[in-house]
Formats: sequence, structure tokens, C-alpha cells
Amino acid sequence: MAEIGPKFFKEVKQISRGDILLRISHQASMQSVYVGSSDAKIYSVDPLADKPEFHEFQGHTSYVMGLVDTGKHLVSGSYDRSLIWWDKESREIVRRVEDAHDRWIRNMFLSPDGQTVLSVGDDMVCKLWDAESGELVRELVSHQKITPNHFPNMLYATAVSPDGKLIATVDRIAKIKIWDFKTGEEVTEFEAPKCYTWDPQKRIHSIGGIRSVCFSPDSKSVAVGGIGPIGNIDHLESPGRVEIFNVASGEKTHEFEGDKKIIGLVEQIVFHPSGKWLMAVGGKETGWVQFLDLEKKEVIRQIDAPMHVHQVAVTDDFSTVYGAGHGKLIVWSLVQ
Amino acid sequence: MTLQNSFSRRRFLGQSTLVGAGAAASVMSLDILKSEAFSKQLKQKGKRVLLLWLAGGVSQLETFDPKPGRLTGGPFQAIQTAVPGVEISELMPKMATRLKHTAIIRSLNTKIGDHGGGARLMHLGRRDEPNLSYPDMGSVMARELGRPDSKVPDYVTFYTATEGRGNAVGQAGFLGSRYAPMFLTTGNKPQNLERLESISDLDHRERADLRRVLSARFTQGRVSPALGSHNVAYGRVRGLMSSEALFDITREPKSIQDKYGPSLFAQQTLVARRLIEAGTPFVKVSRAWWDSHGQNFETHLEMVTELDHVMSTLLDDLQERGLLEDTLVITLSEFGRTPTINGSLGRDHFARAWSATLSGCGIRGGTVFGSTDEDGQHVKDGEVGAAELFATIYAAVGIDPQHEYYVGSRPVPLVDSGTEVISEVLA
Repeated sequence: MAEIGPKFFKEVKQISRGDILLRISHQASMQSVYVGSSDAKIYSVDPLADKPEFHEFQGHTSYVMGLVDTGKHLVSGSYDRSLIWWDKESREIVRRVEDAHDRWIRNMFLSPDGQTVLSVGDDMVCKLWDAESGELVRELVSHQKITPNHFPNMLYATAVSPDGKLIATVDRIAKIKIWDFKTGEEVTEFEAPKCYTWDPQKRIHSIGGIRSVCFSPDSKSVAVGGIGPIGNIDHLESPGRVEIFNVASGEKTHEFEGDKKIIGLVEQIVFHPSGKWLMAVGGKETGWVQFLDLEKKEVIRQIDAPMHVHQVAVTDDFSTVYGAGHGKLIVWSLVQ
Repeated sequence: MTLQNSFSRRRFLGQSTLVGAGAAASVMSLDILKSEAFSKQLKQKGKRVLLLWLAGGVSQLETFDPKPGRLTGGPFQAIQTAVPGVEISELMPKMATRLKHTAIIRSLNTKIGDHGGGARLMHLGRRDEPNLSYPDMGSVMARELGRPDSKVPDYVTFYTATEGRGNAVGQAGFLGSRYAPMFLTTGNKPQNLERLESISDLDHRERADLRRVLSARFTQGRVSPALGSHNVAYGRVRGLMSSEALFDITREPKSIQDKYGPSLFAQQTLVARRLIEAGTPFVKVSRAWWDSHGQNFETHLEMVTELDHVMSTLLDDLQERGLLEDTLVITLSEFGRTPTINGSLGRDHFARAWSATLSGCGIRGGTVFGSTDEDGQHVKDGEVGAAELFATIYAAVGIDPQHEYYVGSRPVPLVDSGTEVISEVLA
């Protein structure tokens, strides 16, 4: 059996497009992926086909920022504030929840048991939806709507722990909130303040925020990603950051700051099932993939990506990574 | 001469003295008779201008020229305004309901895509000339709309952020430093405006009397236009000193303070309204810094939300006070931003097809002049440049854009000869 690991990471194929691919979901039983685009459409495509064909799902009116595959349905969320349940075969709309959030929907997550779809939006609410019926189950509310400097806050991402007990939500002002999945009670809160830059003098606005969140396989830790303090906030000119917290104690156990090759936002973090290393992706004008050793607390490998990577979908065996990004869909392999 | 440091009374006087026997003296001596009747008429009308200078380059696509459904349009939707058929960005819901006061010009092609050059052009209305220092818009307004006997400053500009401050031209040029701005760079109040505690009011008055006597003796038998400018500047000092309260927004009812809100931009705009109400003919409030090469949509989500609130609150306030009819509110940048979205989800500099707005005095509200193509890459109809925009601004407050100053014997028109106003946006 072929070995799998970061040292074997290599590009298999890339497909160029004119749009920005912001979200991606992998169909476990097939080679196809779904991608959410800046053209407000979702596409299903087999990127490894000789002549990949992009099949459209039309229904949103702005950037597609959330995409989860419940098995029976594909569920998408958009800056247009709506959620849509799709028939995957016919690409028809099964259900649409207009104004699912009062502001932009930023991201989505599917609970490990596949029963609950989570969505977060700039109304600063994390909403839990029954994956089958589309009924709203619960709302998690406590993130500040306005930043300390009187600007709108933004709720960027959410994740559920692999044991299904906890939910994490992360915002622009670098707050991390942990919630009890069953009760909806807020359990604890951490901060990663280096991920939020408020410039009070030169430019008088902000940049950054925590853009990605992921629980460790044992559900005991939560990793967050973003960008470090920025001097010139006109640009994403600062190293990407990954910080890991012990959920029970609140202790920050790991802190990775990128070097000059890892500049920009950490858009997504994925733990290897062993919990020994993780993969972070992101970028600025262009992008990168970074592998971090959690035992040695050091970088395993860093690879330039041909585009800012907004999201990846990883096969269960971690053999293949599908990347969605600025103007490209890419397939990487981790197999020897 | 530029005034990039915080205002001080002594600096103000120093600058006036430095005018010397230069161009300012010439223009004053030659032009004053020609324009006197015209200026007097204008000043009696009490027209004023408030420029919201959006430094760094606000995106037209996220404000007044949205392109929903196009890849260049970005993620924001367009919303219907109170004017049938006119849509603006969803980031401006408050302005959408108030667009009847505002004309949008969507077809600026100003060609200069660097901050310094673009900002100079959009302050002067024309390109620099090697041997002539042009006045900026504020100085022209101070000259044409200000009153010599005014107790308030004629031209006040706020620029608190440090980025791009050097580009925000504040120059009286050949008009002379009598029309240079009071340039505030720290907070909402001018520094050093108050009388020194060590000098009593009586002392201050007596010193002024002594200075007048000495000046009168000095000028006997001399022709000195420079000294005239110097004396005019001194004569205004006590008025300026008494205007300190105008910069204090705590003198406004709390309900008004609350309406504007807590941000610096909001507070400075409230000061601007107080100055306008008191008779200051030109105030510029700079909101920096919009240069969103990375994360354009996050930046505009923050800053357009603020702009929408501040601008709409200002228009409401001016209208409720009966001032909007005589006050022209301008939103302007050095350029717009590229329709093409870069890898950092940013937009870059773009001077080829962008927007500005004019509201209130002399404006046919609810009009949209010009258009860009479906992706916003080029002007489709009604291309205009800085000269046409400035001519229109001057015309809106009753200043003839073809009006000429004289620098020495050379006639210098307010805007480049042959420039036409955008009559479609004028009431």
C-alpha cells in the first residue's frame, strides 16, 4: 500500500477559470466535487476527467460561501443570505430559505453525524438547521455585532467537534466561542488578538479576523487560522497564523507564524486523522499549502499554490486534496 | 505652498507674511475690482460647500455604480433607491432613501491612477503648470464665497489619518495665503487657537492696536500689497479665536451627537456642519484610507457602512436646518477602483470610469449623469474629467466657471478654457 504524507504532496491537475472558486465539497463516492463560485453558481465537476465538464446549479444571486453535502442533498449558503437545499442529480432546488440570515452568510459546516447543517453570517448568529427537513433547530447568539471601534463585526466560520459535543465559532475581532452542541449554551471563549489588526492612526479601519476553525480529531483542541498583525492594511502583507487552544483549559498550546513564503490569510485548517499534523491553506495574491507538525511544533513543508486557496476538500484517507481558489480548481495528491 | 501641519495662529500669521511681493499680491491688486460686484452678490447668498474627501480611492462598484450579476461587480447586491430606476450598492440603504437630494456622476475618466497625481487633480481641477501655482477648490470657494468681515474661518480641512495626508492638497496658490486652509490633523479642534493665559484680553487688543499703528507708519510712502495681505490676516485673528466653540460638538444637543454617532469621521462631519451653519464657506472632511488592494469587500463593508450613515445624517441635518438648499455636499476621491478583482479579493487603482456625487445646493437631485459599460471597465456615455466636474461644482454654488483671475497681466480662468458644465445635474 502506497504511503501517504506531506512529503509526497504534489500537484496532479489544475483547471483555470474566469471566476473565483470560494467553496468546495467532495462527493465521497465519486471523483466529482462541488464548487461554489463568485458567479453565484455551484458546479459539479470531475476534475480528473479528460475534459472536465462543469454542471451548473443556478439559484443564488451572490457569492456562494457555504457548501455541504448531506448525502441526500447538497446545501449551499450565499452572501445573498439564503440557504438552498439541492437535488444533487437533477440540480433542482428542493428547498430555499430566504433570509436565512439577516446579513451575508459566511460559511457552513455539517455535523459529524450528518444530521445538522450549521451556518454563520454577519448577523453574528450561528444557526443550526435540520439537514433533512431544513427546519431551524437553534440559534447561537453572543458574538458582538459591532466592533469596539464602531464598525460591523463579521462571523467568519464554524466547526463541530468530531465527537459531536462542541461547536466553535470565530469572528473578525478574533474571538473564539465554544458552545455546547446539545443545549446551545456558550461554554467558553478564547481570543487570538494577533489575528485582528485595527489601525487607529494611519488608515483608521481594520483588516484580518479569524477566518478558519477546526477541532482536533480527539475533540480536545481547536485550531484557528488568520493573518498576523499588519502594518500596511491596504494589503494582506503579513504572515498567516495558526493558533491551537486546549478547549478545557483555554491554554494556547501551539502558535505558528508563517515565514516570508506564507503571507496572507489562513483560509482553512484540516487535521490529519492521526492528530499529529495538520494542513493549512490560504494566500494573498497567490497562495500556499502548509503542513505543520503538532508534536515537534514545526513546519513540515510549505508549497506555493498557483492561486489564493479559499477552501479544500480532502478525501477520507487523506490521499487527495481538491482546492478551490482564485480562478482555479486544483487537485493535489499526497500519495507516494 | 502646502499646509500639512496642524494649524496654529502664529503659523497662520507667518504664512501671510511670507506672501511677500509674489503672485498673490498681483492677483489681489488686479482682480479685485473686476470681481467685486460679482463676489459681493455671491457672498450675500451664503452658499457653502462641504467636501467629503474619500482618500485612497473609494470603489464606485461598492457605492454609486454597482454591477450586480457581473464577475466584476463583486458580492454586493444593488438596491432600488427613492428615485425610480436608479440603484446603488446595498451598502448604502440610508442614502438610497435620500437620493432625491443627490446627483450621481458615473462617467469620470480622470486618467491619473497614482494617489499623489490623482489627488492633486481632484483638488485643483486641472493639472499643475510649472510656473503657476493654482488654488485648490477650497481656496477658490473661500475667495468667492467667504466674507472679509467673517468671524469664522473661510476654509477648514480635517485630515486625521496619516496615510495620504500629503496628497490632500490644501493650497491657495496664486490667491495668496489669506485663502489657505486651516488644516486640522489632530482630533476635532484646532490647536493653539486660544489666547495664551499669560496675555489678558486687554493686552491682546492693545498689542493689535500697536501693531496697526506701526504698520500704518511703515506703509506711509510705500506701495506694499504684501503688507496689505499681512494686515488682513492679522485682522482676522480675533475672529478665528472666537470660533473655537464651533469645533466643540459637546455644544450640540445629545440627540444630534447620537445621530451622527461616535466615529471620528462622523464627529468631524458634525463639526463641519457647525462651521457651515456659522458661515464657513468651505469645509473638507477627509475620510482615509480606502486603498483596498487586499480585502476590498471587507474594507468597504466597514467604511461604506460608515459613509452611508454619516452622509445621510448630514443631509438630513442640513435639510432640517434649512441649510441644504445653500450647501453643496460633494463626495470625491482621487480615483475609483478596478472592476477586476485581484487574488487578495482586492481592487486596485482605477481612474478610467468612476463616480462622484453632488448633493444639495444647485443640484438637480435624483439625477444620474453618464454611465459605464456592463462590467464597469469603460465609460459608455457622458465621459467627463476633473475640469467638467469642477466647472459644475462652481456653477452649482453660483460661481461662473469662466470667471477669470489675473496673475500679473495673465488671465487665468477658474477652469480650463472651453470646459463645459454638466448641465444635466444642475437645478
